[in-house]
Amino acid sequence: MSSATPSSVNRLKSNDAGRHMIADYWDRIFTANERDAQLVWYNGAALNPIFQAAGLEWAHGEAFAARLSAQKLEKSAQLAAQEYGYVGELCSYARTHLGTALLARQAKEKYSKGIVDDAERDDLASRLPMPNFIVNCYAGCSTGQQWDEITHRILGKETPIFNVSLPFLWSNRPDAGYLKGQEWEEASDYVAAQLYKLIDFIEVQTGRPFDWDALRQGMKYIKEASEIRREAMAMCANLPAPATFWDWIASVAHINFLPAGPELVEYFSNIRDEIAHRVASGESAIKDEKYRLYFDGIMNWNKLGTLARVFAERKVAIVAGRYTHNAFWQEPQLIDTDDPIRGMAQHYLLCPTNHGFQTIKHFTKHDCELYGLDGIVFHSTRTCRAFTGPQQMLAKAMQKEMGLPSIFFEGDVADESFYKGELLESRLEAMLETIDVRRSRDFIASSASNA
Amino acid sequence: MNENRADALQTMKNIAAHPELYIADWKSKQKMPVIGIFPMNFPVEIIAATGALPVIIQDSKEPISEGNSLLAEFYCGYTRSIADQAAKGMLDIFDAFMNADHCIQLLGSVDVVRELLPDKPVYFEHLIAAMDDSWTKTQVQEKIEAFIIEAERVTGQPISDEALLACIQSNNKNRQLLRNIFAARRNGDAQFSPAELQAMIVSSMIMDKNEHSALLESVLADAVAKPRDQRIRLHLSGHFCHAPRVELFELLEDCGAVIVDDDLYTGARYISTDIKESMPPRMALADWYFARNETIPCPTRVQKTVDWDSYLLNALDNSGAEGVIVVMAKFCEAHMFYYPELRKTLNTHNIPHLLIETEHEGMPVETIRTRVEAMIERIRRKSPTRQITQESA
Repeated sequence: MSSATPSSVNRLKSNDAGRHMIADYWDRIFTANERDAQLVWYNGAALNPIFQAAGLEWAHGEAFAARLSAQKLEKSAQLAAQEYGYVGELCSYARTHLGTALLARQAKEKYSKGIVDDAERDDLASRLPMPNFIVNCYAGCSTGQQWDEITHRILGKETPIFNVSLPFLWSNRPDAGYLKGQEWEEASDYVAAQLYKLIDFIEVQTGRPFDWDALRQGMKYIKEASEIRREAMAMCANLPAPATFWDWIASVAHINFLPAGPELVEYFSNIRDEIAHRVASGESAIKDEKYRLYFDGIMNWNKLGTLARVFAERKVAIVAGRYTHNAFWQEPQLIDTDDPIRGMAQHYLLCPTNHGFQTIKHFTKHDCELYGLDGIVFHSTRTCRAFTGPQQMLAKAMQKEMGLPSIFFEGDVADESFYKGELLESRLEAMLETIDVRRSRDFIASSASNA
Repeated sequence: MNENRADALQTMKNIAAHPELYIADWKSKQKMPVIGIFPMNFPVEIIAATGALPVIIQDSKEPISEGNSLLAEFYCGYTRSIADQAAKGMLDIFDAFMNADHCIQLLGSVDVVRELLPDKPVYFEHLIAAMDDSWTKTQVQEKIEAFIIEAERVTGQPISDEALLACIQSNNKNRQLLRNIFAARRNGDAQFSPAELQAMIVSSMIMDKNEHSALLESVLADAVAKPRDQRIRLHLSGHFCHAPRVELFELLEDCGAVIVDDDLYTGARYISTDIKESMPPRMALADWYFARNETIPCPTRVQKTVDWDSYLLNALDNSGAEGVIVVMAKFCEAHMFYYPELRKTLNTHNIPHLLIETEHEGMPVETIRTRVEAMIERIRRKSPTRQITQESA
């Protein structure tokens, strides 16, 4: 009789306990029409505290595409998009979401004719209700605004749309840098001014005054949750790592778009406490951690479990990543809970693709040092040109300046046809051998110098 | 062909093919900086007003090698070519670089230039793409001012309103001359081949505008209209930031088509809109950014009040084009987003069209030929007059 091989992945239990929050959230979205709730579709930055304070339901386009992909339910939306004419090289988040827009429009048209299609009702991709309005607030990637412009056109140009424009933080001036300089301050003011205009727009759409107290209260919860999340992340500098990148991926939804409230704070407190307990007891996130790596690139949602296993089985802890550690309310000290708009605007600018190369190099080096990492894995994300832009220069710079080896593997954010698993595995094994050789050399050199 | 006209055309072709030779010659004569400009929205008049030469950087025909180790293979050919040129020293001839366009692929390549040429200023101000919002207008005006300040700093030359106006006038004149040539083509004059028209546009992007206008005037002085023949009339649409290979034009003509109009960046789009000379020049430069998108809508901008597809239908009416070739530079996201809207509109109006994706290296000529021939056949079958003509032949 065969026995199941124990998994090398030791996932955080508190993440599993928080999964129902995501399911509950999507259930609210899918039933928005039945409850006569107003629904906003949005893309890009975490505007949800504003929507929550305005009494809206909010559906994040990228999040829905990610959810479909993670559940392997993205195909019907991608097929609808393909039939409409989108080329397969288009951002797969956008392609999937535009597919859901086409399906939503189709479902509405059928419904208006009294047709109920059981197959469609059972297809998750068809269940996103049509929005009352659209808001776009996209940093870094130029695709963002174009995407929602096209969504607006697909839905018949009648759905109101509001664009918050986020300037790219290029660093023209000598004083420019991460969270500093005239460019940063001016961009912060520019975006904050638009957020006030967005709230004016929302007041028109809802027909009621905006609840500023609710926003302040919501941002208190988010700030607290973020501080706890950062505290927990910092504990992962510990050897062995008590949690990995994959654990942080599992909590992206919570920090990025779930409702702000005591449950959110409790969720991240539980994560922190579990991590603290693991540190105290020496419990590792993967079995027999031997290597510690950084993950650069956006998530490959189709292959979440596969990737976690591929690395863990080779004793690799992916400890940090650009996507998880340099996004999602990652600088909570910027939030003034009494007057939160400017701090929110600053976070919207802090998307990890909204910086010039030098700034990206700056925070990547910082993370690699902080977490004591041995190398970098670059997810060369086929349809995400925003994340992949600086990767090759970053690989060269990190090798040159920190001696860190790296590998690239090909995949995509939401289109699994681009994933090349065997290449990842062979390249990963080669890099781990390189790390072993370097460690042996360092050991011999250090023994010789001590002799 | 008259000698002056032939010489002028040849000069433009040579410069379009080898910008570096013209730039080196210009620099040695003028002793002024040359500023590399990235497409598609930077108002070059700002640079010209300092006495420096603004040159819109073209993609190189050279196969991309080093550029592929600096940017991902799924970046468009133009951006990888920029990275390649930077790595091979081909951009060393420029003294500084300026960019106003927020395309994430373009910014990736501009960042490569900044890293590989650390001693040269590489300046970017993000002209916001959401054209409908009142605050965009203020922001664009501020960015125009910032570009002016940077141009003064880089060149060491102050920019007066008088100098700006003079440059606006010379650029407007150049655009008008080119527009006349394009309008003649639209109205049935086939004296210039598509490759010649492209050479005129590309050389305009490179040259001093007064010098370029003088060449155009030489060409036009001896112009003799040549009536278009009865081949199938096509409109070429799209292809942003850089020029499609002329081999594509030749292939289309080989298949029995004649190009009668376009909205290519290295075509009608580049020359579509003048800068208003009646406005204060700094305001006029900002106004131009918005006006261009009204004249020929661009999918890199978002604007509810204009439609590229409606523009296209109108353009087809004006030129009498019977079909559309959508020419898409592979991996151009803005174009990928908008293409289905064009397709839907063209289908609704029963207008034959074909999508051709272009790559930096290699063109599958025979595959494209088969598709083009099929489309042309469809147009022939659709038109009773065409069928009769073919049967008579």
